[in-house]
Amino acid sequence: MDALYLIKIGEIRLKEGNRAEFENRLKRDLKRRLSSFHSEVSSREGRYYLTVAEENSAEAEFALSRIPGINGWARAVKVRKEMDEIAEAAVAAVAPLVKAGAATFKVEARRSDKGFPLDSYGIARELGGVILEAFPGLRVDVHKPDATIYVEVRERAYVYSDGSLGVRGLPLGSGGRGLLLLSGGIDSPVAGYRLLSRGLALESLYFHAYPYTSHEAWEKVRDLAANLASFSGGMTLHTAPFTEVQLKIKRDALPEKTTLYLRACMMMAADMVARSRGLNSIVTGESLGQVASQTAENMRFTGSYTDYPVLRPLVGTDKEDTILTARAIGTYDISILPYEDCCVLFSPKHPILKADFDAERKAFDALGFREIVAEAVAAIERVELPFSFTPPRAIAVPR
Amino acid sequence: MAPCYLDWAASAPPYPDLLEQAAAIAYSAYGNPSSLHATGKSARAELEAARSALARSIGAEPGRVSFTSGGTEADSIPMLSTLLAKGERSIVISAIEHAAVFEQARVLEELGVKVIRVRPAPDGIVDPAAVADAVRRDTVLVSVMAVNNETGAVQPIGAIADALRSARGGSERAPFFHCDAVQALGTVGFDAAATGVDGAAFSAHKLGGPRGIGALFLGRPVTPLARGGGQEGGIRPGTHNTPGAWAFCRAAERAASAREASLARARLLERALLDGARAIPGVVPLPAGRLPGDERYSPYIACLAFPGLSGEVMARLLDEAGIAVSTGAACSGAKKERRVLDAMGVARDLSFSSIRVSTGRDTAMPDIELFLERAASAYARYRV
Repeated sequence: MDALYLIKIGEIRLKEGNRAEFENRLKRDLKRRLSSFHSEVSSREGRYYLTVAEENSAEAEFALSRIPGINGWARAVKVRKEMDEIAEAAVAAVAPLVKAGAATFKVEARRSDKGFPLDSYGIARELGGVILEAFPGLRVDVHKPDATIYVEVRERAYVYSDGSLGVRGLPLGSGGRGLLLLSGGIDSPVAGYRLLSRGLALESLYFHAYPYTSHEAWEKVRDLAANLASFSGGMTLHTAPFTEVQLKIKRDALPEKTTLYLRACMMMAADMVARSRGLNSIVTGESLGQVASQTAENMRFTGSYTDYPVLRPLVGTDKEDTILTARAIGTYDISILPYEDCCVLFSPKHPILKADFDAERKAFDALGFREIVAEAVAAIERVELPFSFTPPRAIAVPR
Repeated sequence: MAPCYLDWAASAPPYPDLLEQAAAIAYSAYGNPSSLHATGKSARAELEAARSALARSIGAEPGRVSFTSGGTEADSIPMLSTLLAKGERSIVISAIEHAAVFEQARVLEELGVKVIRVRPAPDGIVDPAAVADAVRRDTVLVSVMAVNNETGAVQPIGAIADALRSARGGSERAPFFHCDAVQALGTVGFDAAATGVDGAAFSAHKLGGPRGIGALFLGRPVTPLARGGGQEGGIRPGTHNTPGAWAFCRAAERAASAREASLARARLLERALLDGARAIPGVVPLPAGRLPGDERYSPYIACLAFPGLSGEVMARLLDEAGIAVSTGAACSGAKKERRVLDAMGVARDLSFSSIRVSTGRDTAMPDIELFLERAASAYARYRV
């Protein structure tokens, strides 16, 4: 038996000029993620349908929930082309919606089998009557219904209701390809997710300061990247060895400037990676004022070490909201694993809050970081993390 | 095993022949020692022989020794028994106890038992008078460890027992005095009769025996909280671990017969370690005044601070070089604390940069030399 899904797309509808391209991206993305088994994707009259074998339905639903550009999806029930059976399926589909608080509904019917005795209008009217009878409190509203029941009569009859939410946004790659600065924290994976959902394909860059940061800290970052890969269909993780850079900063910079300079060095490295990989932007998890170093002045300073746009999707987001998203996408439990991603010995007690742009650029440039940062970038190790139906989850290790 | 294993206080590598023979005994003496048939009786004989041998190793009558699942359980039995006492009650523990006592005390606290914690002096040693002073009229139990697992500080157990007895003036019964002797048995040794404790906890794997077996000495009866089939006189119900008990007693015998020779060797290693560490610029042994040969410290355990390099990072670098040490306390939690060193009043920059080096029967001078060489180069390269 096959499982059939109706896929709803959102903003693509609005992009008249690029619509065909966007739709192709979405279909390719879906096909690629489901490439380990047979699937069929078709579109008719602005709707998308996915058919897979029943045994692959869990994987299909996982993918549908994680593909940028999909607003939502619904699993259809397939019944014989008999009004009794169709009505029974429709009532069954309405029941959970009523329980969830729906007060109004409509039936949207389509008939491609012209041999079926009732036309679309006739099907909708008859099912509407059955549903009203089954749920006396419910009212019909054809303009803004709380719930919609879809019926299609083709070679069989299909019934579905409003289904699950998707990532929404735009198809992957429609915004090009950017570089996410990924740490082991809560914010950066969420920042990555936000821009993935805007169609920006991503690669990730992690700065590893072994032995100050442990191998476990790297594994945590790898798991975060692999988790994002479940939204992006795969992820390239670049690991830049940054120990020498950190040591030079500690040696040469004033203690209150170490954090700022480290961020400038990271930006410099990100610029080099973006250039060599042909990427179009740099993404960070910075949020205004969240930590002392994340001020507008400091962002201006660090941002001046690249001419790529620095996208900071969380800049105006409250931490609590970031945490909600992190929980929803499954990165939170990994992020809070207790492996520090930066040694306290490198963190000043009183970091500089508002960098004086010209003076600080001069002071930073005088220390000559470009060469040592370039060495770190040249020594980058790259890992390709594939799309997986079972992305890593945090495992609490008893210690 | 790491080419250079210096974490014996965490667990000693087992004697291979003991594990092999224990496995053979698990097959041959498979009967339940509580069973009345011949198979059970032969297992019982094996178990009782082990009990007698272990009792000799700790200076106790066999009837005073109960086998447990390990040191933690042996600590918990007298501690949890305080829950069965009536009315207001308190316990006194040192602030440097192992988690088996310290965390168990927190639970007692949640259940209404007042817990009084006595801090050590800066040298890591608890003053007997301070313990006796902390005891109140309602104090039912005092617990002080024999050898601290992070610093090696040997606690004056005999003097504490005396102080507790004289504090009550002999007219009243002194509180039950328990001692976690897990780090003492295989190293500096522990004599229950000579110290005058009421209870003492031991663990086999610290001295080359298997995991999952320990013992509790009881010079005075306690009423156990956990009940079951009545084994071990009801002190520790649960089917006996015959092969574990057998291997435990053999390991304890080996440690006892080799004690003086081992201690002499350990003192030599201690001297090389402490002198060598002091020769590395910046390195501080903890407590800072500890000198080699000081009998107030177990020569098998040393705590060394490398200011400017966290203990966790140093342990990682040494591990890379095949040298196993520990940070002395679980240090990977989000809440970083070095409880024992904090209680001694050690400054944070020292405590966080400290590691514990612990030696054992197989440790040789080249191990110490390798450690010193690698620690010195790692420190020079990565201290910030």
